[in-house]
Amino acid sequence: METYLVTSDRLIFKRGDIVTAKDLQHVNIQLLINGGHISPQVVKKSAKTKDTETETEKDF
Amino acid sequence: MSTVYLSNPALTINSVNLTDQATSAVLTYVYEQLETTAFGDDGRLFGGAAVTSLQNNTFEVTLYQDYSASSTEATIFGLVGIQTTIEVSPTAAGLATPSATSPLFTLQDCYLESHTPINASLGELSTITLTFTGGTLTKAVS
Repeated sequence: METYLVTSDRLIFKRGDIVTAKDLQHVNIQLLINGGHISPQVVKKSAKTKDTETETEKDF
Repeated sequence: MSTVYLSNPALTINSVNLTDQATSAVLTYVYEQLETTAFGDDGRLFGGAAVTSLQNNTFEVTLYQDYSASSTEATIFGLVGIQTTIEVSPTAAGLATPSATSPLFTLQDCYLESHTPINASLGELSTITLTFTGGTLTKAVS
């Protein structure tokens, strides 16, 4: 489920709260984003490690 | 004394609290009047023992116009032509924790047909009057 960071003092939620689409039922979420009230949260993917030694061996 | 002196109401439009911009609010709760008069009745009758007609509600609100970020214009402009939800209570506390003496009225899926982004006269504060129509009204007391 998508989550949003509250970036305004005009919502029933506090600034800084994380809310879900379920919390914003029957509300036009895109307009809240456009109006600067909430911001979509981007899920950070874990960094992948790269085995450079193996790749170097393959070059030979 | 139970008469209401409306001094500190609160409202949200599309979940945005615009209480500090509002100067009047009128919520009209309507069930369309359907005639059920039949032969043998002594007078005209409307409706029945249970409500079977459609709600036809309206909510009229007057707001000060404000073009700053996250305020009146930023909230209202995009709502024209679509459905949204209105919440209104006689007190600010009623928005978060409704009670019998401070009920929360929610008008869900109401429609805003028009908006006047510019409504100003020389030397006067700019205000806008919005009329939301339709939707389903519920009243929460807890």
